[in-house]
Amino acid sequence: MRRNAAIVLAVAALAAGAWYFLVPSGGSANVGARLQALSDLINSSTVDGVGPEARGAQLGAFFTEDVDVDLGQGTAPIRGRDTLIGMAGRLQPRTAAFRLRFEDVTIEMAAGEEAADVHLTAEIMRRSITTGDESLDAREFTLGMRLVGGEWQIARVTAVDTLK
Amino acid sequence: MSVIRRFVFGQNPRRTAVRVLVLAAISFITFRWVLIPIRTEGSSMLPTYTPDRLHFVNRLAYGAGGPARGDIVAIKMAGPHVLYVKRIVGLPGERVAIAGGQVQINGTPLTEPYVRHRRPWDVEEVILGQREYFVVGDNRGMSVGDHDFGRVEIDRILGRVVF
Repeated sequence: MRRNAAIVLAVAALAAGAWYFLVPSGGSANVGARLQALSDLINSSTVDGVGPEARGAQLGAFFTEDVDVDLGQGTAPIRGRDTLIGMAGRLQPRTAAFRLRFEDVTIEMAAGEEAADVHLTAEIMRRSITTGDESLDAREFTLGMRLVGGEWQIARVTAVDTLK
Repeated sequence: MSVIRRFVFGQNPRRTAVRVLVLAAISFITFRWVLIPIRTEGSSMLPTYTPDRLHFVNRLAYGAGGPARGDIVAIKMAGPHVLYVKRIVGLPGERVAIAGGQVQINGTPLTEPYVRHRRPWDVEEVILGQREYFVVGDNRGMSVGDHDFGRVEIDRILGRVVF
C-alpha cells in the first residue's frame, strides 16, 4: 500500500514538473496567444467576407505604429504600420487561399515583462488563383514585441537566413 | 469471452500491461528523439526524394563524427518541426562554387551521379568556416532563384535522412 502511494506521488510530481517546464505561463503565454490570434485572423481573411479596410484595421492592431520589417537580401525594409498594411492589402488578391502557421515558437521575456523576443518558423501554404496548385513555403523569423496599452504588438520583424 | 480476454490480455494481464507500457515508452523515445518521421514537401530533392513521402531523420547519425559529402541531412529552422532536406556537397574549410551548373570543390568539379538535370547556375566561390557545410538539393533543373541552398552551421543539422 505504501509502495503504491509512493508510485502515485512520484507520477504526480513528474506530471507537475512537466507542466511547469512545458506549459508557458504569464507573459509568454499571452505573447503566444497573440501570435495565434494573428495567424487565425490571417487565415480567416479569404473566407469571412470582411472588407479590405476592416481587415487592415484588424491587422494593424497587431503591429506598433513604427513597426520595422526586414525580409532580408533583395527586399527593401518596410517601415511603419500603414505601409505594411497597405502592402499586405495589395498582396492578398493574388492568392485564392492562404494559410499561415507558426511553428517552433520560442519566447523570451525581457525584464519587466513589457517586451519579448520571439523566434519562430512561419509556414505558409498558398493556392494559386489561376492553376489551383498548392505550394508550401517556410521562413525563419525573429520578432520583437512590445506591450502597448495592454496589448502585445509586433515592433520588429527580421527574416533569418537559415542557409547563407 | 474468456478466450477473447486471454487473447487480448494474455495469460498474465499484469505482465502484458508492463510490456505494453515498455513498448509505448520505447516507441515514444525512438520516434521523438532518435528516428524522427518527416514528410517531404516541394521538389528541390527530385529525383531522389519525391514530395509527400515519409522518411526518417536519424539524430544519432553524427554522434561520433560530422556529416560526410553526399549525405542527405535535415536542417532545422527555428526548431525541429519544419526542416530543410538537402545534400551535403561542401565540407568545413573547403572552397565551393557552382559554375555552369557544376559544383566545384577547391576548383575541382564534383561528380554527382544523383543529379539528372542541370540548369547553368552560377554561384560565386565561398570559403566554408570550420563549422560550416555547403548544402544543395538534387534538383538542379529548377531556376536558381527558386532553390534554397548555401552554407549551414553544423548546429542546425538535426541528423541524417534515412529510408
